[in-house]
Amino acid sequence: MINRKVKWVLWGVMLILLTFYPKLVGPYFTNVFVHFAIFALYAVSFNLLLGYTGLFSFGHAMYFGAGGFATALALIHINGCSLLVALFMGFFASVILAMVLCPIVSRVSGTAFAMLHLAFSMLIYTLALKLRKITNGEDGVSGFPIPALNIPGVVSFDMRDSTNFYYFVVVVIGISLWLLWSFTKTPFGQLMVSIRDNAKRVAYMGFKVPQTKAMIYAISAGFAGIAGAVLALFQDVIAPDFALGPGTSFQVILITMVGGMGSFFGPIWGSAIFTLLQEFTSRYIKEVELLMGVILIVVMLYFPKGFAGVLALIGSKVFGQLPRKTTAEDG
Amino acid sequence: MDPITAMYVSQGVHGLAYGMVLFLVASGLTLIFGMMGVLNMAHAAFFMLSAYFAYQITVSTGSFWLALLLGPIATGILGVLVERFLLRKIHSMGHVAELIVTTGVMFVILGAVKFIWGTEFLYVSPPPILNWSANIGGMVYPVYRLFVMVLTTIVLGLMALIIFKTRLGMVVRAAVSNAAMVNALGINVPILFMFVFGAGSFLAGVAGVTIAPVLSVFPGLADQMGMDAFIVVVVGGFGSLGGAFLVAMTIGLLSSFGVQFLSQLAPVLTFAFMAIVLAIKPMGFFGERE
Repeated sequence: MINRKVKWVLWGVMLILLTFYPKLVGPYFTNVFVHFAIFALYAVSFNLLLGYTGLFSFGHAMYFGAGGFATALALIHINGCSLLVALFMGFFASVILAMVLCPIVSRVSGTAFAMLHLAFSMLIYTLALKLRKITNGEDGVSGFPIPALNIPGVVSFDMRDSTNFYYFVVVVIGISLWLLWSFTKTPFGQLMVSIRDNAKRVAYMGFKVPQTKAMIYAISAGFAGIAGAVLALFQDVIAPDFALGPGTSFQVILITMVGGMGSFFGPIWGSAIFTLLQEFTSRYIKEVELLMGVILIVVMLYFPKGFAGVLALIGSKVFGQLPRKTTAEDG
Repeated sequence: MDPITAMYVSQGVHGLAYGMVLFLVASGLTLIFGMMGVLNMAHAAFFMLSAYFAYQITVSTGSFWLALLLGPIATGILGVLVERFLLRKIHSMGHVAELIVTTGVMFVILGAVKFIWGTEFLYVSPPPILNWSANIGGMVYPVYRLFVMVLTTIVLGLMALIIFKTRLGMVVRAAVSNAAMVNALGINVPILFMFVFGAGSFLAGVAGVTIAPVLSVFPGLADQMGMDAFIVVVVGGFGSLGGAFLVAMTIGLLSSFGVQFLSQLAPVLTFAFMAIVLAIKPMGFFGERE
């Protein structure tokens, strides 16, 4: 275990880096960071299902997209809708969608769970493409007003400024990640791991497995919705192909696997790796799919614990301690 | 036959032909799933790849029949290799790992196809002997599509014969219901897995080559057929051939007539069908387990 003092120093350094990051790198890489943060939250919420509860979903994008569309539509249709209300709408819409679906999906697991999500997400995706009056079809909802963040009588931040938006994203996603991290540490959060490892036994102990799954499911969906809402605010456009499509569902699987589904911070590493990869390869390589497929296979065959697993291994070598068990219980 | 009836009949035949090809793809998928518990995400990609093989072989040799022979064989060999060198290594890591690896294979095939052949539509013409339209009682119908139906019927008949009448088929059926027990009885189950995976890919390959002249060849072929095949397997019940056949025909007709009457909502229709069935029976119509 790294010394507690060293840990505090590291957190301090990270905070200072986050504070001065936009000044150091300029607007372009500030936006790259925002992109990374959005997908980090999206992937962590997905990992709550995959890594912690052992539920594999092929359709997590529907919650990501639902959040984005809810925020965009709220900003268009509600006059003078404030920023935080719009963000909350994104969260709320995804939770509602999850609560509608969870009586069906919380009864199953494994392949049936995965395929059911493929069906529902494709249903929502095709609906979003076809209901042109609401979603504007393939073009998506765009050009909605981005309100300023007002603290009445005190101060107002213009969110169209990339630096201001950066700080907003750091706070919103930071708080979301902190909440999820705390959630995994509660006794209720620990139940996730128990359900993954032996659902029958958890049921024998008197816990209601489907209801617990449904709760976790709704929480995971809600935070994916926040990530989608931030994306909508960030780009000022939300289109079915980018936010709801099967590609977005697969992307989060990829991010989580490469980062390491065994740990809380794995998906964050995964998002960082993918953002950098996209940033530097998309200029030179057209065959992104080929690259992603090869990465997926190699990671699964040789590094099933992902980047976080490799880090833990290196850490244990360097600090000369016994390799820690990298299950979801530890960070 | 008056024109309206002729239209309905030809729509119906269209639907049945699509249902047959769909079943050809889905039968491999459901057999693999029943035996190995692997839902092969790359199955539709094999189907698409085979259509590209058909294009390449017809262009370079000029013979569609050669393509019909070699395309499925190449696809089958590829399936065997994927099973032997990828799936077998991660079989012990559980179903999620297998889903992810086959997804990876799907991406690789999709990427490779776009790299080699590009994304534009490619056309394969049917062999000259079948490239004409028959006039059946006032209904003009392309002969090639009739050929597709005949061919798929023959292939499916052969498959049914092997599965239900031979010793090999008996072993396969036994392994579908309990692989561990079959292994304990002294049958080499890993080799059986490899064989079934290869055979499933071969069937997808046959479907790919036969469909190439009907639809055009493009990377999106995998999405369309893949989604439908998954729906067939899931709704029909994992591992059930009879269920898959019934659902494949239903979806063939549903999409054929759906386009006719509700062209806006036709894609939604099949997904809604799947969602409703799964909501009521999570294991599908004829499935006994998840």
